[in-house]
Amino acid sequence: MAKFDPIVGRYVYVQHDGATYRTYFEENGQGIPLVCLHTAGTDGREWRHQLCDPDITKNFRVIAFDMPRHGKSIPPGDFYKEEEEYKLTSKFYSEFIMAFCRALELKKPVIMGSSMGGNICLPLALNFEDELAALIAVEACDHSPGWWIDPLHHPQIHGGEVCATSVFGLMAPQSPEEYRWETWWYYAQGGPGIFKGDLYFYSVDHDFRDLCRKISGRVPIYFITGIYDFACTPEMTQATADKVKGSECIIMQGIGHFPMSESPEVYKEYLMPVLRKIVQADRETNRPDDREHERPSGSGRAARDDGYARDRYARDERRGSASTSNEQGGVRVVEFDSSGGRTRR
Amino acid sequence: MARYTATAPLDLDWFESWARKVNDDKVLRVIGRFFDARFVIGIDDRDYLVVVREGRIKKVSEGLVTNDMGWQFALRAPAQSWSRFVQPVPPPMYNDIWAMAHPLHGKLKIEGDTKPFWQNLRALFWMLDIMRQA
Repeated sequence: MAKFDPIVGRYVYVQHDGATYRTYFEENGQGIPLVCLHTAGTDGREWRHQLCDPDITKNFRVIAFDMPRHGKSIPPGDFYKEEEEYKLTSKFYSEFIMAFCRALELKKPVIMGSSMGGNICLPLALNFEDELAALIAVEACDHSPGWWIDPLHHPQIHGGEVCATSVFGLMAPQSPEEYRWETWWYYAQGGPGIFKGDLYFYSVDHDFRDLCRKISGRVPIYFITGIYDFACTPEMTQATADKVKGSECIIMQGIGHFPMSESPEVYKEYLMPVLRKIVQADRETNRPDDREHERPSGSGRAARDDGYARDRYARDERRGSASTSNEQGGVRVVEFDSSGGRTRR
Repeated sequence: MARYTATAPLDLDWFESWARKVNDDKVLRVIGRFFDARFVIGIDDRDYLVVVREGRIKKVSEGLVTNDMGWQFALRAPAQSWSRFVQPVPPPMYNDIWAMAHPLHGKLKIEGDTKPFWQNLRALFWMLDIMRQA
């Protein structure tokens, strides 16, 4: 008997600003729509653990889509003759997310995004609050400079390897090697210039340092950041949350910038209480009848004790010639020769 | 395990121990096959020149001299930064060269011709990660 993931993938045609985008998404579960946004230069595979977690999917219809030019969502047909390099803007990104939600006819979805997907939660809260139930802004802040850099798209530098390696240190040393390198792999597979172009949004176009205060607070926003995130530090997230009405700030220990993919078990400990609050708030409002969800059975910690998550995320925490030393003009030198011999001078 | 503490003496003997482990590493033979570079690791005011050929360290020298005929790039940081970086489980903001060098943090400076730094980032980071075993 074959073993399958419960995830199902499809393409939907999203209309936006006079263009049609054939957009790939994956989903699993029933209930409140939970739309997951991938990080810069990657795709929805980052959310595979949450898409497969029955503790989440029993109350949520979890959906992860690939932005145009990412994953299985192809670029516009004329991308090859664009006269300006690709740059993601806050306007296009936020409007496309909402266009995708409308294409799927999602009613009051919850948006959960990480990194650039976290940052975009701020414009979404400001401009689309009537269409959203809640926002989970992971590794997010109002301004995250320093990442729109040329080495990430340069003909003499391997784009896949440099993009992936540049983000590797954003993950915590405590996170399982297997999942850190899986995240590295997703980054290595991005299209040329796409990671850098996304970072135009992340580091340049996204500047909510003042606009933060204009968010009404009618839509709850949960900020969740890991302590190993050096692009959006816990201090940066906290400073942002302090300015945003109706927000809550959660700092995660022992995890970094890609919690959903680098350490899904640790992330789950912090995410489940947030999801329970969202389910509770959903029950207290008049949700459409088609959203049936059961009352969560016990606490998140109890839910983890069913062994499912532990098995599902079972991991292997492996990890894991000769020289010459000499003095040249007062300088001590160690040299290594090809045969493994060693000399020290 | 004294060298795993924040006061690990990062001297030429320590570099030699690191270089031996680098040269024994079988993954670097693959990912560092085309990694040729001459770079400097600066610790406080001490410079160590590291010469790499095909992913193997050919030479480490303490101090720079005329006959070096220069180097390509330098990674310079206070001893305190390096001591944190080389811990088996480094603390946040010190677990990665780019983390330390990022404009937000400025714990380390990348100087010189940074193109070979970025070109060889994967093999270089793997090589530096081995410092945590040194």
